[in-house]
Amino acid sequence: MSFELNRKLAARRPPLPTSATVDAVTASIIRGAFETVCFEAATHLGRAASSPIINQSNERNGSIIDAHGRLAGVSIGTPHLLFISQLTVRYGLQLFKEYDWGPGDVFLGNDPDYGGGHLPDYNVYAPVFDEHGELVLIQALQAHQGDTGGKDPGGFTLEATDIFTEGLAIPCVKLVHRGEKRRDIIHLLERNNRFASFAGDLAAMIGAVQHCVKRLEGIVRRWGADTVKAAVNDNIEQTEQRFREEIAKWPDGSYSADVLIDHDTLGTKDVKVHATCTVKGDQLTVDLTGSDARPELVGVWNTFANSRGYAMTQLASMIDPGIIKNEGLFDAVEIVLPENTIVHPPVNKPAALGSFHPAVEIIEAVCIALSQVVPERATPQVYKIGMPNAVIGFGPKGMWMDQGVDARSMDSSAVQGIDGWGSSCVGLGNLLLSEAEDAESRFPIINLNREMTTDSGGAGQWRGQPGSLNVKKVLEPTMAMAWMVSQIHPLRGLCGGEDAGPYANHFEVGTEREYKVELTARAQLPAGAVIAYQHGGGGGFGPAVLRDPQAVREDVLDEKVSLAAAKDRYGVVFTGTLEEYDLEVDAAATAALRQRMQALRAVQEKQS
Amino acid sequence: MTYRVGIDIGGTFTDFALLKSSGAGSAVVLHKNLSTPEDRSIGVMNGLKKLAEIEGLPTGEFLGRCEAIVHGTTVADNTLIEMNGAVTGLITTEGFRDEIEYRRGYKEDIWDVRLPPPQPIVPRRRRLTVPERILFDGTVYKALDEAAVRECCRRLKLQGVESVAISLIFSFVNPAHEKRVAQIVAEEMPGVQISCSHEVLPRAPEYDRTSTTVVNAYVAPRVTSYLEKLVDRLKKGGYRHQLMVMQASGGVMTRQYIEGSPIRVLASGPAGGVIGSAHVGLAKGCSNLLCVDMGGTSYDMSVVLNGAAPAETGWNMHHRYLVGVPMVQVETLGAGGGSICHVHNGALQVGPASAGSEPGPICYGRGGRQPTITDALLMLGILSAESDFAGGSFSLSAAGVEEAFRSIGAQMGYGAEDAAFDCWRVVNANMSQAVTRTVAGKGIDPKDMVMLAYGGNGPVFAAVQAEDLGIERVLVPKASPTFSALGTLVANPSVDEERSHIAPADRLDDARLKTLWGELEARAGKYLAEAGFTADRLTAKYQMKMRYPGQNWALAFDIRVNQGLHDLSFVDEGLGARAVAAFNQRHMEEFGHIREGEMPEVTGVRLVTSIETPSPRVATGFSAPAVVAQPTKTRRANLGKGYGPTPVFHGTALKPGHEVPGPAIIEETFTTIVVYPGWKARVDDAGDYELARA
Repeated sequence: MSFELNRKLAARRPPLPTSATVDAVTASIIRGAFETVCFEAATHLGRAASSPIINQSNERNGSIIDAHGRLAGVSIGTPHLLFISQLTVRYGLQLFKEYDWGPGDVFLGNDPDYGGGHLPDYNVYAPVFDEHGELVLIQALQAHQGDTGGKDPGGFTLEATDIFTEGLAIPCVKLVHRGEKRRDIIHLLERNNRFASFAGDLAAMIGAVQHCVKRLEGIVRRWGADTVKAAVNDNIEQTEQRFREEIAKWPDGSYSADVLIDHDTLGTKDVKVHATCTVKGDQLTVDLTGSDARPELVGVWNTFANSRGYAMTQLASMIDPGIIKNEGLFDAVEIVLPENTIVHPPVNKPAALGSFHPAVEIIEAVCIALSQVVPERATPQVYKIGMPNAVIGFGPKGMWMDQGVDARSMDSSAVQGIDGWGSSCVGLGNLLLSEAEDAESRFPIINLNREMTTDSGGAGQWRGQPGSLNVKKVLEPTMAMAWMVSQIHPLRGLCGGEDAGPYANHFEVGTEREYKVELTARAQLPAGAVIAYQHGGGGGFGPAVLRDPQAVREDVLDEKVSLAAAKDRYGVVFTGTLEEYDLEVDAAATAALRQRMQALRAVQEKQS
Repeated sequence: MTYRVGIDIGGTFTDFALLKSSGAGSAVVLHKNLSTPEDRSIGVMNGLKKLAEIEGLPTGEFLGRCEAIVHGTTVADNTLIEMNGAVTGLITTEGFRDEIEYRRGYKEDIWDVRLPPPQPIVPRRRRLTVPERILFDGTVYKALDEAAVRECCRRLKLQGVESVAISLIFSFVNPAHEKRVAQIVAEEMPGVQISCSHEVLPRAPEYDRTSTTVVNAYVAPRVTSYLEKLVDRLKKGGYRHQLMVMQASGGVMTRQYIEGSPIRVLASGPAGGVIGSAHVGLAKGCSNLLCVDMGGTSYDMSVVLNGAAPAETGWNMHHRYLVGVPMVQVETLGAGGGSICHVHNGALQVGPASAGSEPGPICYGRGGRQPTITDALLMLGILSAESDFAGGSFSLSAAGVEEAFRSIGAQMGYGAEDAAFDCWRVVNANMSQAVTRTVAGKGIDPKDMVMLAYGGNGPVFAAVQAEDLGIERVLVPKASPTFSALGTLVANPSVDEERSHIAPADRLDDARLKTLWGELEARAGKYLAEAGFTADRLTAKYQMKMRYPGQNWALAFDIRVNQGLHDLSFVDEGLGARAVAAFNQRHMEEFGHIREGEMPEVTGVRLVTSIETPSPRVATGFSAPAVVAQPTKTRRANLGKGYGPTPVFHGTALKPGHEVPGPAIIEETFTTIVVYPGWKARVDDAGDYELARA
């Protein structure tokens, strides 16, 4: 529990000792088998869990860690969770003797000061031994829990100043000893959780991990431990090599970016993340030195493991998607996280909200810094939303919560050549959003609107997807929580593209008490109250005046761009009307307008 | 003599299975001819003429004696592959215009930021909304604004819309608004095709229902016009009964029923194969099957448990659109004979890109230049340029093949033969992982399953996957190359529909359940009667769908199986308790645990009706005396353990009782069966092959 521990946990680990060698195809076959095991773990959990975050949002990841604590295989879940799974396990590995690791054991960890992300991310893991009793692999399974037993239901406390406010922190605890569940420990965990479904979810996680351990034991038996180890080594080396080959193609130089968060949860303004990405030959260094270090900041502290993982989430999206995701990614990059800053806080800081902000601003800063280097893959893997509007009520069967992870569009930025599309960045493409008919059958709410708002996507040669306006009515008195950011500093456009439209959140809409949530809210809404959340759009890519006028025509017909914005932001002039669907680009007028706009911009740039 | 004909239209071939019955017994005749893509009904008529010829009858008389013609069609799939369906519009509830574009957040590849969006069936300008709102209990929260509906029609007409999808929130609970919108659309846009979500997929949630309805609207005109053309040709040809059409649920139904919701024929081809597998498997005493079908472009996998391949209604993504109607679950991997072998980033990869049939593999000699799995099989000696290929329609040519693999080998640091062998290993590993995932979570140990392999390439590889999964036996039916056609012949007429109803299991509304099941009974009874079947011949499975509170996916299970309709006496006070017990049992089978102390909720009711119809009888057993067969030749081949002289057998020469010890290659008319070292093939009394560990 110290900066020193973090350094030790993150340090590069050597390959596994083995006398075997393995050909590339065998290594790839064993890797494929690992991925299938992780798939099984995630599938099993996703279907058996009842926490909506796990089974609706799919916030879960299976991963395989080797005996040295290196990421050896992954499932497809969310990259944001995936890259933080090793450090909790590495901490557990330090206690191998003290905690008497053996076959049939299952462990749990979630402590941000011991390699964890934030408290809700439970990491359940179990060792795999070979026939000589030697540790070969560890199966890990991570999932976001709906509650952590802290001050506020859900685990997010806006004004928390330490981790203990947020709930039960677990560095490493054994849940199953030699195949026998430790009922005392499990009871303790269940007691410290508000959700009735937690017991079942934890049981499902344990069951899934145990199933996968059996499968991995079979793989070790079939190929032999030495060959499996050689395959792990080979796959990790391959990934490092491929990643370095990509970096070597990037121009040498130092690229930096600042990204600001509107404010912390108490209103301190302009919280800064600074990233400098330095490319030298095949070496990439991502250095977050210069990021905010004001000790008075509240709620915007991102844990060490998270900062490391989120930087990697963006980097992994900027390389050939065919490169296998494993420890080799971390071996290829140096990530510098300055101590006592919001990207590497001192111990006991609260951690829950940090994985919203500044976590995604780390992603955004890395993306902006590298956008000049890899424009064809520069699009930020973010959720700029402060927090979804969760509404919580108490009915006859206890607490209910509509998390507000509703079908919507937010932050879906363009990339060179492709407009922003769908509802979010690709990295979140496995999270299934909640639907009105499901939610309304369970909770006393009505969804009134969730359509995209015209012109809220950043203009650009390639356009950001507009953000949606989600309007909801509560039918009973309800508590609602909100934290608003990205209103003053919305998601940035790239390479000359315009910024996205900002977020905005209004409570008690349509009444004389209507108000805009500027910072945070924990409101008691009366029955019938309406809340309206305007999501930010995606950022644009490249100068808007270079967009194909026909594409702008399509956008206007689809009401993603208004006629006024077509003219003012894109410099496109039409004949005909939208109402009659007979819009045609007035080529001459468009060319003339664009020429004037570009001349004006040149003058402005000269002046600034 | 009476006849039943099963027909399956594929991209290259149209397959026929003819079941002839007389007092003396029954027999099956198989036939294959080329498909006619410009008008596929021509290929169907060509094949029927051929069958008549085989039977020595004029076509008219033959068709007159046909009691049933059952047909599987890919016309809906092709419409989505080619994206050339109707100009489609959508009318939905105010506030919900963009659900279909959000796709609940789903994107196919979380790492590829260059993944393009799916081609929109209804771009935003053709998605229009109307003020109206119905709540979860069916009450009207906001009345329908009819003037707004007429305005939508005006705007859709201006845009040349040919087919309109209507999908309103909670229409599956109370369809009044949707019905009224449909009336207005019919008035304002005469001749336009209309698809209502409460008819196409009456269940929550809105994205699933809307997407399914939109795809239905998109494919409807093409499916309808194709079926009308075919029915017309058959009628003129002398056929007197209803044309039965295969559905993705694994059942068949009349054209009239299909035309109410043409989406039901999507992905029906593979479903036919699975139904055929289940039938053959049961006859051979194998009720748990892992079915693998490998053709030119894909490797399709499915599971038969307890003799059945249940149709599921979950997250079925097809051609990047969600289609929520019941479908026999078939998983697909881009691995087939035409899959292209290449080196990417230093790693050897096979597929998913395919050379298809044109130009096809290099060894087809039609201008293909990229090495494929078929080419690798030629390099390995599993296929041979000296033997007939695809029923003798052409021969393979080795020209250019070795060179292509030499080029792959150069990138990997070895020679052409090693490269071909590694391609074989890679494609096998891909298939083994894929079958493992297919079986995962089914609650059965693969060791307790029998593999059934079909398709042109299925039997080449099957035993490798069987070995990987610990499966002891592999069945390769003689009819394997025309298996889907046989499946359509085996499939029973069936209506499988559901209604949404969300309630805790301890507070069921019996009257409501009776109403919903009653509606389903009325529909099933009507359509089966129109197809010429009486209700007393019908098996009715009353199913409930349940989940624990908060779970996203519901499990379906039988709560009652009746002969005939209209006995709803089981809907009584004890139903809730019985449902909880049955659900917990299903949950235990599926996930290995139950949640004690949690009250599950019902999400819907379903009625699966079917009629037993005559099917081909499949012989089984090994009563013929065992004889070790003699090979017709040997050739140099590598069956996974290095090159060596390998015995080759002609399938036509193998008779019941014959045994072929591995390593060996059996050349059948339309497929090749590889008997790997350590395995043995036997021919059973039906002439089908069984591969088992020696």
